[in-house]
Amino acid sequence: MSSVLEVKELARSFGGISAVDGVTFSVDQAEIVGIIGPNGSGKSTLFNLLTGVHKADRGHVMLFGQDVTRKPSHKIARAGLSRTFQLPALFVNMSVRHNLWAAAVQGDWHGAPSMAEDVLELLDLADVAEALAGSLSGGQQRLLEMGRVLMQAPRIVLLDEVAAGVHPRLRQTILKAIRELRAKDTTFLIIEHDLELTQDICDRMIVMDAGKIVAEGTFDEITHDPQVMEAYLGVPVE
Amino acid sequence: MTVTTFASRANTIRVAGLAALIVVGATLPLWTTPYWIRIATGVALWAGLALSWNVIGGYAGYISFGHVAFFGIGSYTTAILMQPQYHWPFFATLPVAAVIATVFAATAGWPALRLTGAYFAIATWALAEAVRELTTVSDFTGGSGGLTLPVKSSSSFFYYVMLITVVLSYILCYFLLERSRFGYRVKAVRDNEAAARAQGIDATRVKIEAFMLSAAIPAVLGGINAYWITFINPNSVLNTIITDQMVVMVLVGGLGHAWGPAFGAAALYLINEQFLTSFGSSTSYIAMVGIIVMLVVLFLPDGVVSLWGRTRRTRLVRQLLGRAADEFHPRRTTDDASTTARKGASR
Repeated sequence: MSSVLEVKELARSFGGISAVDGVTFSVDQAEIVGIIGPNGSGKSTLFNLLTGVHKADRGHVMLFGQDVTRKPSHKIARAGLSRTFQLPALFVNMSVRHNLWAAAVQGDWHGAPSMAEDVLELLDLADVAEALAGSLSGGQQRLLEMGRVLMQAPRIVLLDEVAAGVHPRLRQTILKAIRELRAKDTTFLIIEHDLELTQDICDRMIVMDAGKIVAEGTFDEITHDPQVMEAYLGVPVE
Repeated sequence: MTVTTFASRANTIRVAGLAALIVVGATLPLWTTPYWIRIATGVALWAGLALSWNVIGGYAGYISFGHVAFFGIGSYTTAILMQPQYHWPFFATLPVAAVIATVFAATAGWPALRLTGAYFAIATWALAEAVRELTTVSDFTGGSGGLTLPVKSSSSFFYYVMLITVVLSYILCYFLLERSRFGYRVKAVRDNEAAARAQGIDATRVKIEAFMLSAAIPAVLGGINAYWITFINPNSVLNTIITDQMVVMVLVGGLGHAWGPAFGAAALYLINEQFLTSFGSSTSYIAMVGIIVMLVVLFLPDGVVSLWGRTRRTRLVRQLLGRAADEFHPRRTTDDASTTARKGASR
C-alpha cells in the first residue's frame, strides 16, 4: 500500500524546548493511525507542523508525494488534508448549519446545503442547526468540528481528541463516520487519550514522549513495550 | 393562530414597510422642502459610510480607525479631476476614486492586515493621519486651503445620486457577504482565522479583498460629497471624527448586521441635526453619543436591530473587544486555534 503521508526528521523548538524532536513516520492510504502520549509530549505540535500552523525548524512533510513542509495551512487543506483542533475551533458567531456551509467554501458550494442536512442528521445536530456554534455544549462542539471535516470530503484527516467529552452514544456515531470515510479510502491520524477508543479503531499506534517517537506498532505491541510503560507510568521503583 | 400565520403576517408587514420606504425614498424631492432633502442626503451618505465600515469591522472583524482615509481619497480624486485644468465630468471621476481607494487599501492592507486587534486599529489610524498630513502639505491637493469644485445647485440631483449609490452598495454587500461563498469566507476568518485556514481559506487574501470592498464605497461617497459641498480641505474630509462616527453608527445599529448600520446612521445623524438646530453646536451631541455607546455595548451588544429579531451575534462585540484586550494582556491558553489567531500581530 502506498504512503499518503511521510514525515522525515521533523523538529520544532519553542524557546529552548524541543516540542517535536526528529519525528519520522509514514501513513498508508486508508490506514487509521493513533498517536498517544502524555500531556506535553508534542502530539498537537506535530499536528500543527503537519498542517502548516507552525513552521518546522527542520525535516520534511510529504503529502501525496508533494513536499508541503513550508506550505501555508490553506494550501495543505486544499491538497486534501482536514483537521480538528485540541479545543474546538468553531465559527462561534455563525449557526451550526452555517458552520457546515463554511466548511464547503472551497469545494462543492452548491451541494453544501443538502450535504449539510445529511451531516446534521448523521451527527444528531439537526435540533440545534439554527443555534449559534458558540452556544453548543462541549460535546456538541466536537461533533460540529467532525461535521466540518465530513463536509470537506478530505483524503486525509487529523483528529485531535475528537471524542473527548462526547456522550458514549454520539462517540459511536463519530466512530461510525470514521469507518465510513475509511471505506472510501480516507486516511486518519488520531490523537486520543482514550486507549479503549484507539484500540477499537486504530490499525497502528505511535507513542510520543518528550517530542520523540518512543514506540510504534499495533495496540498489543505498544501496550507491552517497556518504554511506553515508562512514558505513561514513570521509571519503575527499584 | 398558528406559527405559520404569524410568520406570514410578519413577512407581509416587512414587505409593506420596504415598499413604503421605496416609495418615500423615490418621491421625497417631489413633496418636501430643500432642508429635508439635504437631511435625507446626509442620512444616505452616513448610511453608506457606516456600511463600508461594517464590511471590515463587522464582517471581517478588523476594527479600522482609519477608514476616513478612503473617504478623503475619493473626495480629493473627484475634486482634483474636476478642476478647470482637467475638467473631467463628475460621473467619470467616481470609478477612478473607487479604483484608487481599492488599490490603496490593497497596498496598505497587505502589511496592516497581518496585525490584529488594537495593533490594526492603531496602524489604520496612523495611515489616515499620514494621508491627512500629505494632503495638507501637497500643492496638487490645495494644501491646507483645500479645493473648490464647480457648483451644481440641485439638491434633488445629489439626493438621488447619493441614494442610488448607497442602495446599490447595500444590495451588493448583502449578496456578497450574506449570500455568497465570499461572505462565508470573510465571516469564517473573523470568527477563527486558524480554523478558516484549516478549511482551505486563504485568510490573508480574503481580508485584503474585504478591505478593498470596504474602501471602494466611502471613496465613491467621498466623491459625491465633495461635489455636493463644493469645497473640501483636509479638515473636512480627512477628519478622524468621520471614522469615529462610522464606528458609533455601526455599533448602535448592529455590528456585522446587513442593514443595522443604516438604522444606526439614520438615528444618530437625525439626533445630531436636532442638537445642532436646538443648541447650535455638537458638543452635547458628542457627550450623548458616548452615553449611547456605553448603553448599547452593555445592554444591546447586537445593536438596536436585535430588538426586532433573535439575538444572533451576542459574542461578536465582546469577541472583538476581548481580542483587542488580549493584545496587551495575553491570556495563557492551550487552544491552538485561538492562540494562533491572536498571534497575528507577529505573523
